[in-house]
Amino acid sequence: MKRQLIITTAPIDEAALLSKRKISDDMGAVVHFLGVVRRTEEEKTIKAIEYEAFQRMVGHQFKLLFDEMEKRWPIDSVRLVHRIGVVQVNEPSLWVEVVAPHRGEAFAACQWLIDELKRVVPIWKKPFA
Amino acid sequence: MKIAVRFYSYFKDLTGSAETTETLPPGSTIADLLKQLMARFPELGAMQNSTLVAVGVDYQGRGYVLKEGDEVSLFPPVQGG
Repeated sequence: MKRQLIITTAPIDEAALLSKRKISDDMGAVVHFLGVVRRTEEEKTIKAIEYEAFQRMVGHQFKLLFDEMEKRWPIDSVRLVHRIGVVQVNEPSLWVEVVAPHRGEAFAACQWLIDELKRVVPIWKKPFA
Repeated sequence: MKIAVRFYSYFKDLTGSAETTETLPPGSTIADLLKQLMARFPELGAMQNSTLVAVGVDYQGRGYVLKEGDEVSLFPPVQGG
């Protein structure tokens, strides 16, 4: 399984990411997910969220997740970009791409990866009003 | 033995610092370390059950026996995405 992890303070450039997409001939499904900062956080209006990461552990935990993902589904490739630092409302903080032979495993793997990210990857958010 | 401890997210605000060092007897566990830290930083007490603990870059449970040189990180539930 090909894997790419980018933790960055720079805005997520979807066009650039899509231009680098590679799909093997036997693959039939590509799932993309974009997580976007909402205007409302815990019922309060906000302007932005600042993401903080324990970077060394983030890399290690994603490696463990990708290893597990590879065991569970026949994924061809996974790419994940997570912003850190200040992300304004309506801007993406997370971009995920999963390429698999069929849509079922692509959707399932993408959903699982994001659920696990929110459970074990040491990134925190601090909203700004 | 001396154990280096780092705080992340709002634990830095609760303790007023990003890192500290605790001295513990050999054979001490993470539970022992937490007990000592809660006494020193009572603000962490309310978060006791939900506090996540890592040694190096791996999560560890309360029964983990600490070793000299371990780098312990304490933080609240994660919120990525």
